Amino acid sequence: MPTVVIASPKGGAGKSTTAVLLGTELAHAGANVVMLDCDPNQSLTLWADRGPLPDRISVLSSVSESDIVKTIKRHDTDGQIVIVDLEGVASRLVSRAISQADLVITPMRATTLDATIGVRALQLISEEEEALDRKIPYAVVFTMTKAIKSKQHTGIAGSLAEQGVDLINPPLMERASFSALFEFGGDLHTMPAQGNMEGAIENAAQFAQAVYQRLAGEMG
Amino acid sequence: MTDKPFNIDLGRLKTREKDRSAQAVEKTDRAGEELGFVAREPQKKRGRKPSPRTGQVHAKVMPGISEEIANEARRRGVQQGVIIEEAWKLYKNKSGI
Repeated sequence: MPTVVIASPKGGAGKSTTAVLLGTELAHAGANVVMLDCDPNQSLTLWADRGPLPDRISVLSSVSESDIVKTIKRHDTDGQIVIVDLEGVASRLVSRAISQADLVITPMRATTLDATIGVRALQLISEEEEALDRKIPYAVVFTMTKAIKSKQHTGIAGSLAEQGVDLINPPLMERASFSALFEFGGDLHTMPAQGNMEGAIENAAQFAQAVYQRLAGEMG
Repeated sequence: MTDKPFNIDLGRLKTREKDRSAQAVEKTDRAGEELGFVAREPQKKRGRKPSPRTGQVHAKVMPGISEEIANEARRRGVQQGVIIEEAWKLYKNKSGI
């Protein structure tokens, strides 16, 4: 089963939120999901400790540089999807995790700073593809977006698309319920209502479906 | 909206063969280091290495000699044990031990 690595050297880009939304929505749709928390801030572990874990999800904490490759190998088996949440720095742990990915997702706020730093993850993927002589599929998802796109958002999206970067549609919007996952734990389906829940669930599900299509090879 | 907006067909999820050899990890590390993705976890052995001098001598010497040994060691910036080791080496040479 595929390994999805959530990577960006930029802190605060929405990696852990993306990982939790993806993991919980894929599990909700019927997949077994193993989530690896490789961030020293342990955001995934904090989420997991907040409430009962949804069905079909397990979380492994404190995965380090020295054991990331063998931990992914152990869980990269039939019947489950591995999601790796990384720390927001440029580290060896990040490069080793990427080397084991079937898909790398780089969450990015639609700002010039996020795009500039986030692009370093894409450069690393390109270097690793060359070093390992293996194609490593990757995609960018914009996070914390607003209902009305800013000029900056449109410009950055256009620039990435011109460079052939795969942009996941829909982006993950800024929603109270997404950040509240780290307050209540669980998933969007079990959480007490926060703002427009229907819109949030639809956004997260469509995002997870777009990722699933990439993993299933439906993107051509 | 339905409760399950899409279904997962596990059979369609594909994993690719990955090289997990030590050589592949080394190549990955090298590629990362060139872009500043370096080791950031604390190394296990940090700080000053422990001294190999663990054997202790309990010798009583005449008044003033201990002070002379201490002063010489301080002057040279070495441990007092170094002076004892050098004296012992001279003694061994002289005695043919």
